[in-house]
Amino acid sequence: MADHEASQSEEAQPDEVQYDPMSSRYDLFECPECDNVVLALGRDEPPMSCHDKPMERVTDVEMSVKPPDVKQVLLQAFGLPKAGLDICLCVIGEGPLSANEVAESLGYDRSTITRYLNTLVDMGLLRRSELNREEGGVVNVYHSVDLERMRRETLIGFYVWAGEAAALIEDANVTKQDYLDENPDQELPELFWESFRDK
Amino acid sequence: MNVTRRAVLQQLAATSDAERKETTSIEALTAALGIEASTVESHLNGLEACELARSETGGRVRVTITGEQLLELDTDEAVIVDASTPQREY
Repeated sequence: MADHEASQSEEAQPDEVQYDPMSSRYDLFECPECDNVVLALGRDEPPMSCHDKPMERVTDVEMSVKPPDVKQVLLQAFGLPKAGLDICLCVIGEGPLSANEVAESLGYDRSTITRYLNTLVDMGLLRRSELNREEGGVVNVYHSVDLERMRRETLIGFYVWAGEAAALIEDANVTKQDYLDENPDQELPELFWESFRDK
Repeated sequence: MNVTRRAVLQQLAATSDAERKETTSIEALTAALGIEASTVESHLNGLEACELARSETGGRVRVTITGEQLLELDTDEAVIVDASTPQREY
C-alpha cells in the first residue's frame, strides 16, 4: 500500500520545478550589494533592507529543483515519520480518544502511539497535561496546540532546517573553491562530495 | 443530530459529580442531548476507555475526577488520553 501511495504521489508531481517570481507561493529577495538572499512567505514587498537598500526580488533563476513531498519534508526536517503525521491529524479530529482507539484506527502498536505523542510534544506540535486518576496516579492527556502557534512552530522549525541545509551548501562551495585555489592544475576528485560529508 | 463525545462528557459533568459520586442515567442524558440512546452509550464507552466516565451499579453513570479536570483545561481542541501512564510515586 505504501508503494501504491508513493507511486500516486510521484505521478501527481512534476519532475522538476523552477522558481517563478510571478506565480510562486513564496518570494526570494537578494541584496543588490552583497550575496545576501532571503526567503519570504506571504508578502509582496521586500521583508528587509540590506546595505541601506530594499532587497530586490530574484528574477534570474536558472536552476530547477525536484519538488518536495510533504511527507519527505516532515521526515527530513523534523524526523517525523508518517506515523507521527497520522497521529497529529488524528488529534486534530474529534476527541477525546483513548490511545488504544488511536492505535486501532491507525493500525499502529500502542507503544508507537505513546512514543510519537511524546515526540510531537517535544516538537511543540502537541501539548501534554497531567490529570489525576481516581484510584491514584495520573493520566496523560495530549491536545493540539493553537493552530496559529502550530503554523509558526513548523514554519520556523523548517526555516532552521533550511538554514542548516543552506549553510552546508555554502560550506561545500567554499571548500570546493579552497581546493581549486590550492590545486589550480587539478580536477576536483571524483569523491569530493563523499569526502566533504566527513568534514 | 450529530453530538460529539465532548458534548456528552459536558452533559455528564453537568448532571453528575465525581467527588460526591452522584450519578445520572443514560435515559436522562439521551433526553437532554436529544439523541438516540445507542449514540450516548457509544460515546460513554469511549469516555470510559479514556477514564473520563464511569458506570456504576444499576446502569447509572457519572463523570470521573479525570473527566472533570479535562473539562477544566478549557480547551476546545481534541485530545488523546493515554491511560497507560505509570502511577505517580509518592
